[in-house]
Amino acid sequence: MKKWFTKVAMAVAVTLTAVFAAFLVGCQNKNKNEFVIGVSGPLTGPAAVYGLAVKNSAQMAVDEINEAGGLGGYKFKFVAVDDKHDASTVSTNYATLVKEGMQVSLGCVTTKPGLEFKSLSKEDNVFFMTPSATADNIPEFANGYQMCFADTKQGTYSANYVNDNVTTSNNKIGVLYRAGDDYSQGIYNNFKNQLAPKFTLVEASFTDDNPTDLSSQVELLKDCEFIFLPIYYTPASVFMLQAKDKVSADCVYFGCDGLDGIESSEGFDINSIPQEVSYLSHFNSNATEGAAKTYIDKYVAKYGKDTLNQFGASAYDCVYAIYNAMKAAYDKDNSKVTPNTSASDMCEVLKTEFQGGFSYSGVTGTNITWDRDGYVNKAAVKYVVKAKSN
Amino acid sequence: MKDKSKFKLKHFINYIVIGAATIIFTILNFTGVLGLSEQFLLEKITIAIILAVSLGLVVGFLGELSLGHAGFMCIGAYIGGKISALLSSSSLGTGLPNLLISIIVGGIAAAIAGVAIGLPALRLKGDYLAIVTLAFGEIVKTLFLNSSDESFGGPIGLETPRYDRNHLFIIGFVLVLVMLAIIQNIIRSKHGRAITSIRDSEIAARATGINVTRYKLLVFALSAFFAGIAGVLYSFSNYRVQCTKFDYNYSIEILVMVVLGGMGSVNGSILSATLITFLQVQLASILTGDLAVLQNIFYALVLILIVIYNNAPALKGFRETHNLKTFFSKLFKKKKEDVDPSLVKDDEAKWNRIPTKINMDELLSMDVKVTESTMKPDKDKGGSS
Amino acid sequence: MSFIVTFLNGLSLGGVYALIALGYTMVYGIAKMLNFAHGDIIMVGGYVLFVFISLTGQPILAIIIAAFLCSLLGISMEKAAYKPLRGASPLAVLITAIGVSYFLQSLAQIIFGAAPKFVIIADLGVITFGELVIPVYSVITLAISILIMIALSLFIKFTKTGRAMIAVSEDKAAAQIMGINVNTIITVTFLIGSFLAAVASVFYLLKAPNISPTFGSKPGIKAFTAAVIGGIGSIPGAMLGGFLLGIVEVFSNSVPAIAPYTDAIEFLILIVILLVRPTGILGKKRREKV
Repeated sequence: MKKWFTKVAMAVAVTLTAVFAAFLVGCQNKNKNEFVIGVSGPLTGPAAVYGLAVKNSAQMAVDEINEAGGLGGYKFKFVAVDDKHDASTVSTNYATLVKEGMQVSLGCVTTKPGLEFKSLSKEDNVFFMTPSATADNIPEFANGYQMCFADTKQGTYSANYVNDNVTTSNNKIGVLYRAGDDYSQGIYNNFKNQLAPKFTLVEASFTDDNPTDLSSQVELLKDCEFIFLPIYYTPASVFMLQAKDKVSADCVYFGCDGLDGIESSEGFDINSIPQEVSYLSHFNSNATEGAAKTYIDKYVAKYGKDTLNQFGASAYDCVYAIYNAMKAAYDKDNSKVTPNTSASDMCEVLKTEFQGGFSYSGVTGTNITWDRDGYVNKAAVKYVVKAKSN
Repeated sequence: MKDKSKFKLKHFINYIVIGAATIIFTILNFTGVLGLSEQFLLEKITIAIILAVSLGLVVGFLGELSLGHAGFMCIGAYIGGKISALLSSSSLGTGLPNLLISIIVGGIAAAIAGVAIGLPALRLKGDYLAIVTLAFGEIVKTLFLNSSDESFGGPIGLETPRYDRNHLFIIGFVLVLVMLAIIQNIIRSKHGRAITSIRDSEIAARATGINVTRYKLLVFALSAFFAGIAGVLYSFSNYRVQCTKFDYNYSIEILVMVVLGGMGSVNGSILSATLITFLQVQLASILTGDLAVLQNIFYALVLILIVIYNNAPALKGFRETHNLKTFFSKLFKKKKEDVDPSLVKDDEAKWNRIPTKINMDELLSMDVKVTESTMKPDKDKGGSS
Repeated sequence: MSFIVTFLNGLSLGGVYALIALGYTMVYGIAKMLNFAHGDIIMVGGYVLFVFISLTGQPILAIIIAAFLCSLLGISMEKAAYKPLRGASPLAVLITAIGVSYFLQSLAQIIFGAAPKFVIIADLGVITFGELVIPVYSVITLAISILIMIALSLFIKFTKTGRAMIAVSEDKAAAQIMGINVNTIITVTFLIGSFLAAVASVFYLLKAPNISPTFGSKPGIKAFTAAVIGGIGSIPGAMLGGFLLGIVEVFSNSVPAIAPYTDAIEFLILIVILLVRPTGILGKKRREKV
C-alpha cells in the first residue's frame, strides 16, 4: 500500500515541481537588453562536427558584432541547443529557445530536425535563416531562408557542370551516394534527372553515416573516369583511400559542398590520393585570399582546424546577414528593432529587408541575394582541392 | 469472496493520481499558466509512459526481453500518420475524429506486427529473442527509410498533421488512463496470473493447462498495440515522422525506463518514464552550447549509479535502510510498518537466471517442501486422533 | 573474376566482425551478459592508436599500447560497473553496460572533439595476381583473425585457465565448488575480449582510417548479430557468423538495387537462421529438463 503510494506521490510531486519550476524560469526575461539569436543543432552524436562548427562560428560572429558595439547600443546573445540530429527533440528545443527570448533564429543545422523547426517557427512567425539545412522545402514558409544551396540546386548545378565540361571515353559517370540520407539522396536524384542522356550512370550506395567497408562500391565504380560524390567528406575520404589503387589515376572525383573539409581533416593526407579531387561549393576551407581567408584564420586561431568546414562559414555569414539586415532596418526606423521587439514583428521587419533589394557579401559569396521563396542566389564555385598527381 | 467486493485503494491510486494530474494540467493550461515547453514536455511524458508500460508488459510480466519496441512504434507512427494525413485532406479535417481513427488504425497495424514477431517468440528464448526483436525493429526502419517519396516520404520522412498543442497532451493523458485500465485489468485477472506463471516457469504453466502460445501472442500483440498508439501520438506531436528516430537505441531507452522502474511494476514504469523524460529534456535545455556534451555523461552516471544502487547484492543492507520509503516514513513521522515480504516482490520478474535453463534442484526441493507441508497437517491430525 | 574479389572482400570484412564477435561471445558465454559497451572499446582502441601514432610515429608500438590500454579498460570496466552487480539480474547489467557506452562516447567527444580523426597506420599497398587486385590489409586481416581463432580455441581446450572458462560458462556454482576462482576467470574473459576489440580496431583503421566518438556502435551491433547467428558462446560459431555477415554485406552492397537494404537483409538472415535453429548455427541446444 505504502509502496504504491510513495511512488505515485513522488511522481506527482516531481512533475508538478518540475512544471512550476520551469514556469518560474520562463517568467524571468520580460525586459531584455540584448538581442537573442537561437539555433538548434547536433552538438553531440555522429553529426556533432557540423553542429559545433555552426555554434562556434555563430558565436564568433556575435562576439565580433558585440565588440564593435552591437546594434543601437544593444548587445547580441547567441544560444545553441543540442538536437542530436533528432527531429523529436526540436519541439522542446524550440520552446527552450523561445524561453531564452529568441527573436531571430538560424533554424536547425541539419535537414531532418530543420523540417520540424520550419513548421514550428511558422506558428509563431519567427524569422530563421539556416546555414546548412539543405532540403528544398526548408524555406517553404515565408519566415524561412537558406544561406546554403538547396539540394535541387546542387544536383542541377553539378549535372550542368558534368554535361558541359566532362567527357569520358566510355561515357560512364559513376555516383556514390548514401542511401537513406536526405542530403545525399536529394542531390543524387536531381543529378540523375538532369544528366545528359549520352551518359550512362553507374550507381553505388552505402547506408552508414560512417562506413568502414566500401570495397563493393569500389568494385562497381572502378571503370569510371568521373565519379560524382554527393556525400560528406568522411565517407568520401574512406572511399578515396580504398579506391586509390583500383580506380584509374586519371579519374576525377567531383563532389558538392559536403566534400568541403576533406583536405583539412587531421591526419588525412589528400596528396596520397592520386586522382583529382574537386567540388562545387560556396566555400573552400583552404582559401588563401579574401573574406574566406580572414574567416579561416580567425576560426582556426580560436577553435582549431578540427571543425572548420562550410557549415561554420555559412553560419558566420548568416549571423552577419541578419545583423546587416537588422541594422538597415534600424537605420530606417530605430523603434522597430529593439531587444523588446517580438519575434513576429522582427520577422516582418527582416522579411521586408530581405525582399527589398538587400544584398550581402561575406565569406561564402559576394552580392548574395534571396529570392521570394527564401532560396539563396549566389555563385557556386568549383574548387579543385587537389589536381591529378603525376 | 469478501476480497473481491472490497474496494482496494492501491489498485486505483494510479488512476486517481494521473486523473488528478490531467485535471490540474488542463486547468493550468486553460488559465494560460502552461507555456510552450511545458506542453511539449507533457506530450513527451505521456508518450514515454505509454511506451514504458507497454514494454513492461512483455519484459516485466511475460519475462521476455524485447529490443524492438521502437519498431512497433515506428509502424504505428507511419501508418497512423499516413491515415491522418489522408483524412486531413478529406472532409474530416484534423480534429478529434481524425486522431481517434488514426490511433485505432495505427495501433492495429502495430498489433499485427506484434503477432508476427510473437510467432518466433514461441520458439526463441532470452537473448535470442532479444536480437530477433532488435532485428525486426531495424528492418522496419530500413523499409520506411527506403520508401518512395509519395508513399512514406523516404529519408525526409512523412509529413503528418500536427494536433493542436493546447489539447494534445490532455488526449495523451486520457490515453494513458485508457491503457492503464486495459492493462491493469488484464494483469489482475486470471489471464494476468497465467502470463506471470509463464514467466516464472513456462513448463509448469504448460503443465497446468495454460495455453502458452495464446498468451504469448496476446501479450506481444497488446504491447505492440500500445506502442503503435504511442507512435500515432508521436506523429501528432510532430510535423513529420522520420524513421531514423526509431532505431534500437530508442528501444533501449524505453527498456531503461522499464528496468529502472522495476520489473513488473506498472507504477514504477510510469514514474521512471516521467522522470527520465523530464531529466533528458531539462538536461538539453540547461546544458546548451559548450556544455551540451555533458548531457550524456551526466545521464550515463545517473544510470549506472541508480542501477548499481538498486540491484547490487552487496548493497542490500544499505538499500533497506536508505530508501525512499523509509525516507518518506521519517518525513511524515509515521511508524515503520512491517511489510509482508510476499507482497513486496509479487510482480517482479526474476532475471537472475537464463530462462532457457530450468533449475533442476530448485524444482525438486520445491516438491519436497510441498510434500512436507502437506504432510504436516496429516501428522498433526494423526497425533491428535 | 569480380566474384572472387567480392568474395575476398567479404572474407576480410567478416574477419573483423568475427574478431569482435569472438570477444562478445566469450563475455556472453562466461559472464552471461550482453556487453553493449564492447563496441566502444574498439572506439577507445582507435583513439589510442591515433594518439600514439601521431606522437611516436611507430605503428607497432602504438598497436601494443592500444592492446594493453584496451585490456586495462576492459578489466576496469568490469570491476567498476559490472562486478558490483554480479548475482543481480542480467538486465541490470545490460543497463549499466549501456551507461558505460554513453559515458565512453561522451568522454571521447570531450577529449578528442566531434570531428573524425584520421589514423593512417600503414599503407600496405596491393597484391596483383593478373587481373586480381587485392589489398594487402584484407589478406592480413583474414590471416590474423583465423590465427587468433585457432589460438583461442587451443587456449580454451588445452590450458588450465581455458578449461576453467568452460567450467564457469557451464555452471558457475559448480565451478566454484571445484576450486575455480570465478571472479578471476571473468576478469580474464574481459581482458581477452577487450584485447580482441583492440586488434579489431587496428583492422578497422587499416580499412577505413577515420575514428569518431560514435564509431563503435555499428561494429558492436554487427558483432552481436554475428555472435548470435553462430550461436552465442561458441567460438567457431562467432567466426562463422562474422564471415557470413561480412560476405552477405559485401555482396548485397555490390548490387546497386538492393544496396540500400543491406542492413535489413542481414537482419532478415539472422531471423531466418534463428527460426530454423533457435540457438544459432553452432549453438548448443539446451534441453529443458523437468
